[in-house]
Amino acid sequence: MHSATHLVLITLVGFGSFVIGYYLLINAYYLGIHILALFELDENVKESKWDPPFREFSSPFYPGIGIVVPAYNEAATIVESIQSMLSLNYPELEIVVVNDGSTDETLQELIENFELKPVSADIPVEVPAEEIHGVYRSTRYEELLVIDKENGGKSDALNAGVWLTDMPLFCAVDSDTIIDRDALLQLVKPFLERPKTAVASGGVIRVANSCSISDGIVKSVSLPKTGLPGLQVMEYLRAFYSGRLGLNRIKGLILISGAFGLFQTEAVRAIDGYRHDTITEDFDIVVRLHRHLVDEGREYTVDFIPEPVAWTEVPSTRRVLGRQRRRWYRGMVETVITNRGMLFNPKYGRVGTLVFPFFVAAEMFGPLIEGLGYLILPLAWYFGILNVEFFLIFFFLTTGLGVFLSWFGVFSEVWSFNRYDSPWQIFRLLWYGILENFGYRQWKTVVAWQGLVEYLKGVDTWGAMERTGFDSGDE
Amino acid sequence: MLQVVSAFGYSVRLIVLVVVLALVIGLALAVLFWLTVGLSVYRSVQDTRQERVRDDLQSRLLDGVFSEDPEWDSWVQTLSGVERDVLEDLLDEYLRELDGENVARLQELGDTLGIPDRSKQRLGASGEYKRLYALTWLALLGRPEKIHEADFTPETPRERASVARLRYETDDLDSPAEGVSVMLNGATSQFSIFGQDTLYRIATDDPAALFREAQEQYQSWSQPLLVQVLSVCQHIGTNVTTEDLSWLVGALEHDVPAVRAAAARALGNVGWRQDIRSEPFLTRLVQDPSPEVRGATYEMLARWGDQQAVETLSAALVDEEDDRARLVGMDALVTRTDSAPADHPAEFDATWQWSREHAEFDDTVHRFDDRSGESSDSQSASGFLFDGVVHEDGDQKAS
Repeated sequence: MHSATHLVLITLVGFGSFVIGYYLLINAYYLGIHILALFELDENVKESKWDPPFREFSSPFYPGIGIVVPAYNEAATIVESIQSMLSLNYPELEIVVVNDGSTDETLQELIENFELKPVSADIPVEVPAEEIHGVYRSTRYEELLVIDKENGGKSDALNAGVWLTDMPLFCAVDSDTIIDRDALLQLVKPFLERPKTAVASGGVIRVANSCSISDGIVKSVSLPKTGLPGLQVMEYLRAFYSGRLGLNRIKGLILISGAFGLFQTEAVRAIDGYRHDTITEDFDIVVRLHRHLVDEGREYTVDFIPEPVAWTEVPSTRRVLGRQRRRWYRGMVETVITNRGMLFNPKYGRVGTLVFPFFVAAEMFGPLIEGLGYLILPLAWYFGILNVEFFLIFFFLTTGLGVFLSWFGVFSEVWSFNRYDSPWQIFRLLWYGILENFGYRQWKTVVAWQGLVEYLKGVDTWGAMERTGFDSGDE
Repeated sequence: MLQVVSAFGYSVRLIVLVVVLALVIGLALAVLFWLTVGLSVYRSVQDTRQERVRDDLQSRLLDGVFSEDPEWDSWVQTLSGVERDVLEDLLDEYLRELDGENVARLQELGDTLGIPDRSKQRLGASGEYKRLYALTWLALLGRPEKIHEADFTPETPRERASVARLRYETDDLDSPAEGVSVMLNGATSQFSIFGQDTLYRIATDDPAALFREAQEQYQSWSQPLLVQVLSVCQHIGTNVTTEDLSWLVGALEHDVPAVRAAAARALGNVGWRQDIRSEPFLTRLVQDPSPEVRGATYEMLARWGDQQAVETLSAALVDEEDDRARLVGMDALVTRTDSAPADHPAEFDATWQWSREHAEFDDTVHRFDDRSGESSDSQSASGFLFDGVVHEDGDQKAS
């Protein structure tokens, strides 16, 4: 009995030390990334102030962009979304709407409002997607093409668009994403700066809740009043802004938001497009692009652009947010497992040796181990080994460093583009940076575990999930 | 149990470690907090101050531009630091938007604000962006002499482009050849679109100069730069009279398909040359192993557009087995002929129908736009006009 208790104690202390060590390492990595982000931002701010003296729109060298918009049961909003995309500021645009087997009036709305006529000829190229029922062209807008196909999910819809666009670049957009009018001009910058080597660039996604929006433009930016959306603003700033800027600095960007990313069409076709059997196709595609281009020995860059902004409504209830995050987690595990060959593989440069392993350690195992950490606290207390020092160390490390990293994200924002221009809003953002450590953060570890369980279960029921299409209300 | 921590032969009491850690994190948090809030307040105050003066400055600026004697001197002397900053922003904006006589007025204002001299000094700055801002101001104000006074030599691709653009826009170049040399002499890495566009503008005045420079330099170029120059060649018009095309023909033998494709498109400009039009040469091109290169060759043939070229194109498309290359070629072919060749396989027919129909849709929209008299958002999609030749959609893929 005595030795059993002793064993438990040793295990608890050992595990506690492991958790602390793990967190020191991960947080040191994050800190490094955030500091790199500052350098990157400095460069970005300087670059955004340089406006070369020429008339861009009369240059024959601007690469055309095909905007691919998958739509599933969006009859209520599709016309307005497409209207606002037609008025985006860019010299050469094609808009490819893919109606992914909607069961509502999505297609009819499009046909009526944009005066679509069917193209009677058969499609002359093989498209790796579900059966295409018809292709429509607008008689009013030369740049509008509509594809009507059998439901196959978001990846499938994206592929249909990618295969049928004529443009050298394509932009994957969720139809409920609001894009700043000049955002494409910004997002295309890596392709203008390095026309022959840029293969992908991703923009910033911000939280649209509480911003005032009219005619598809965000008129004024404001911070959601309370609760979950506010916390997510903070989270997006830290993870999707500062975090990606830092990775960009070391040329290790492995995630471009699916809601707003620009790709070289030919490169994506070369890797057979988006994979159907993944739920986080945006992550998967970038990792596979890295792999493919390294394998081909091609010189290339993947870039993150902090300034152009796309806005998206984030979930405002815990139920919907939980569902979204479990899905993200599941998809991440799956992509990591599929591409495990890149882990610690020096062939893939920094992505293989540094970025990908740390990503796995921090994003995949991090929340799981943190969750376990919370479990051993009461256990340790029960066995009487939870002394104040131990608890303080754990608390200072996770919370103190967590707050510091979050605030770093806010600081980067204020120092660079300063979209939330009132100090009061900044003050509230900082407050959210503290608040998220009490409750929200712990809840996310539970969600990660649930996501893992779903992933493990889901392996068997994959076929059923594949054809559910995608629900714009949630994501 | 955890009272003392030992490492590397040193022992520290745990409580000391915890306190130190707490202090470090606490201090870092406090600093970051005040830094963030302070910066936010500062920027907010700055914005408010600038916003307050902007409207007045703008209307005074426009009054000046449209009056006989703007009296910039006496006005500028009364301005505060904030007002000068805002005025410089406005000046930058209007210099890009206005043209003609108004620009001359604005340039006088730039002189009054001392921008050319300041820019000249900044040409010696160590940061590239500072030099680029300076070059941009000099371009907007049309002051090439400041580069010469500062004895400035551009090093980076962006600086080369900025200097070449400034000198080109102000007629400061002795010849287009000098501009081409500023851009390309010693350059190895690719330009931005701004640079590519600048090279294109300069070379349009004297395509032969670009071909000569390329002939001498191309071996030291990186592959992206080579592709870029080839794509400039594709756009610079049909009056290329240079005899020596060996570098261009050499690029057709390059290992990388992207280079061969760009070279094939560039050949669209020299369709008048008999050696380029010779059958063995064309046969080799349309049989290139890469579908991308074959597609580019089809576009080139459509661009030549004469009967022989169109026949070669039709015949090649009948034999084409790659869907994508056939589609690219067909999109080009339908701009040149209304009738398909008599004998063709089913794949050809399907693609022909598809391309024809899409071309008709394009026409319908254009007619609609013409009728309603509105300038379509899609004007650029209808092709670019150079030297009277409309380059249809195929050209857009080059960039």
